[in-house]
Amino acid sequence: MSALLQLTNVNRSFGGVHAVDNVSVEIEEGTIFGLIGPNGAGKTTLVNLVTGYIRPQSGSIKLLSPPPPASEKGSNSPPPLAGEGRVGAAVELARRPPHAVAGMGIARTFQTLRLYRNLTALENVLAGMHLRRRDDTLQQLIPIPAFLKEDRRRWQHARELLARVGLDPDKFGNRQAATLSYGDQRRLEVARALALNPHLLILDEPAAGMNPAEKDRVRALIQQLNQDGLTVLLIDHDMRLVMGVCRHIAVLNFGRKIADGPPATVSQDPAVITAYLGSQAQKTAAHVPGSEEMDVAATSTAVSAEPTSPLLEVRDLQVSYGAIQAVRGVSFGVAKGEIVALIGANGAGKSTILNSLSGVLRPHSGVARFGELDLTTAPPDRIVSQGLIQVPEGREILARLTVRENLELGAWGRSNGRSAHRDIEGLMKQFPILGQRRDLPAGQLSGGEQQILAIARGLLAQPKLLLLDEPSLGLAPQMVDTVFDVIKKIHNDGVTILLVEQNALRALEIADRAYVVETGRILLSGTGAALRRNPEVQKAYLGG
Amino acid sequence: MDFFIQLFTDPVGFYNQHELLIAQIGINAILAISIFVTFYSGQLTLANAGFMAIGAYTTVIMSLYLPTPLPVDMLVGALLAAAIGFLVGLPVLRLRGVFLAIATIGFVEALRLGVILNLPITGEGQGLKNPSADPLGGIVPILISVPILTYLVWRLTHTRLGQAWAAIREDELAASSNGINVPAYKMVAFVISALVAGYAGALETHINFFVDPTEYSVTRTIQILTFAVVGGTTNVIGPIVGAVFLTALPEIVRQFAAYRDVVNGIILILVIIFRPQGIVGRGGLAIIAPRWWTRWRTRERAAAAH
Repeated sequence: MSALLQLTNVNRSFGGVHAVDNVSVEIEEGTIFGLIGPNGAGKTTLVNLVTGYIRPQSGSIKLLSPPPPASEKGSNSPPPLAGEGRVGAAVELARRPPHAVAGMGIARTFQTLRLYRNLTALENVLAGMHLRRRDDTLQQLIPIPAFLKEDRRRWQHARELLARVGLDPDKFGNRQAATLSYGDQRRLEVARALALNPHLLILDEPAAGMNPAEKDRVRALIQQLNQDGLTVLLIDHDMRLVMGVCRHIAVLNFGRKIADGPPATVSQDPAVITAYLGSQAQKTAAHVPGSEEMDVAATSTAVSAEPTSPLLEVRDLQVSYGAIQAVRGVSFGVAKGEIVALIGANGAGKSTILNSLSGVLRPHSGVARFGELDLTTAPPDRIVSQGLIQVPEGREILARLTVRENLELGAWGRSNGRSAHRDIEGLMKQFPILGQRRDLPAGQLSGGEQQILAIARGLLAQPKLLLLDEPSLGLAPQMVDTVFDVIKKIHNDGVTILLVEQNALRALEIADRAYVVETGRILLSGTGAALRRNPEVQKAYLGG
Repeated sequence: MDFFIQLFTDPVGFYNQHELLIAQIGINAILAISIFVTFYSGQLTLANAGFMAIGAYTTVIMSLYLPTPLPVDMLVGALLAAAIGFLVGLPVLRLRGVFLAIATIGFVEALRLGVILNLPITGEGQGLKNPSADPLGGIVPILISVPILTYLVWRLTHTRLGQAWAAIREDELAASSNGINVPAYKMVAFVISALVAGYAGALETHINFFVDPTEYSVTRTIQILTFAVVGGTTNVIGPIVGAVFLTALPEIVRQFAAYRDVVNGIILILVIIFRPQGIVGRGGLAIIAPRWWTRWRTRERAAAAH
């Protein structure tokens, strides 16, 4: 087997952030190559670099000796693709526009679905055949049957492609793409990518938001396509899928490649475990399951009872985005004075749970009570005035306003201006990072400083319960420490906290109790200390 | 009401009496085709009035100073509009959505206030007298052009080019991942739109004795936009229906003729609220087709599927 795609020292930064930092990867022809990494690791940026949507600042991306396109079974061999360098030596892809990269036989799907929503399923696939369609303006101007033979052949081929990804062309062919179910839309996107007749198919999170049965079908489809001779580059958060289907895996973290090898090696790599579970992982990983300490932990699990009279009570909560069910019946509680953590891999539904508590999303069904307040129906402003405050994922500070102005907005709902003013000054003292930068535009703060600002802004609304969504997202390790110190501090000041984190071990360290969320369900629960030693947690993240 | 009674009982008399109105409907229908092409490729461009002006002025200036026959003058006018469309498109088509709309409006006004009002050959603010104007003869090429252009553009939406336009309209990023050269296809749409608008401008001078710079302002462009919005842009019939409807309306309800713009505005708002896809929805004349027809079609399709 020879290499098909070769990335050498590829660099791309946005502002000061190294999204892709000196990455070199080689994808062999005929393989299924997995690209994994935590949220914000640079996976999608890497795909965008390969497919021409983003230009690298340095480094090279080479497509090596692509063979002539394989002709499809059951159809006449398609007309040759437009574009140079189809056959022959290495072709440099960097700095080529996306349509030219597609012309080289590299097809992709998108992390967020990008179908032609108002076109039918068949029209979507037909549009994907653009490069294989000859210019037919004259034939179409005089639409007599003899001139439209090519047209009929293309329709037939589009129907075959739909069937190939498991969509019945009779049933779904003439349906508008937007009306298909979520899983079918994902499949349709694969069919459209296949219409290019590619050498390399890049699938960007094809199984995101799918239930286990749908994921199995995606897995079968990927394997089938690979058996038909297609090289696949798969990006996904679902470790079970990636570990199960890929022959080779590269792991990215903070834009750097931290591991590269067959799945079995990668999943045991200490650097990978650290990247996924947080900086404390190696210490814990050293504990052999079943050791003494493990047993101690196991007994302590029993101690952590659910609170009897919780401040926040959630029962059988279900939340959907259109056809996707993100939260499938979740129950938990938070007692006054606790720190409770919801942990789990990206896409598990953690943020959705928080958003449905703060009134940003409306749950499908279930109970969510905060004291006397029914969170499933109360308007967001009422939820805030009752003392349930959310610090959203990605911080959502107002970049052009100064630190001070951001804090003043946090006190918006308060009637007593003088006490709000006093609190702002108090926070500036408490968090000198903010006090020193009070007149700087918030956008100039570092990510961690912005996070502290966002938390301080939340505190000004005088929360009884603070919802923190991924406070460590995208932060460098020392900054993560600072942010967690801040969280501990405000908890000691008497604020109850519900924390959502990808960085599981850090969250478990400060949490009284925690719940492990996987694909919209609660998989495990227990005290922070107990879960930290539970091998199941590692499994939930790495697919063990 | 008399309007319709006469249309059905005495079509010849109707034609003779309303010849100028019919000519204007035809011109507006061609303009509607022009804006349809850019809409179909997902671009909100409002430069049509500017290209009309180029077509109109070029045609009149040529008939004033050159011995070329009128069809040649008109052809040159339309081609010049297309050529300028290409040059304008180079910088402007990098923009999207509202920004593209504003930039193209800027082009219309810059052309009118900056060029036409300052070039002596255009008569500056006075406009130009058209020596070859022939209101009654001018209607013939219009009536021939409308069905031909409609047919051509309708078939164009079925070609490789039209399919690429539809993909770009739906999602540019996805279109480029399918190997569609997005900037190039957008440019082709913009140039075709300019060509058709320039042709409409040239035809219009033929029925007017006078080329008036105030005709080619933003107001005109907005009027063309309303054809597309009211009629709908999922197929070429939509904007044409919009153009026919909105042009004929002041004649149908004479008592409101003085409030023409007010009535147009109200219709626009009603369409946007109650039928955002336009009078002609996806799949043809959806609102005009009787309910049994749609039901029958769905049943046919369901039967065909089994």
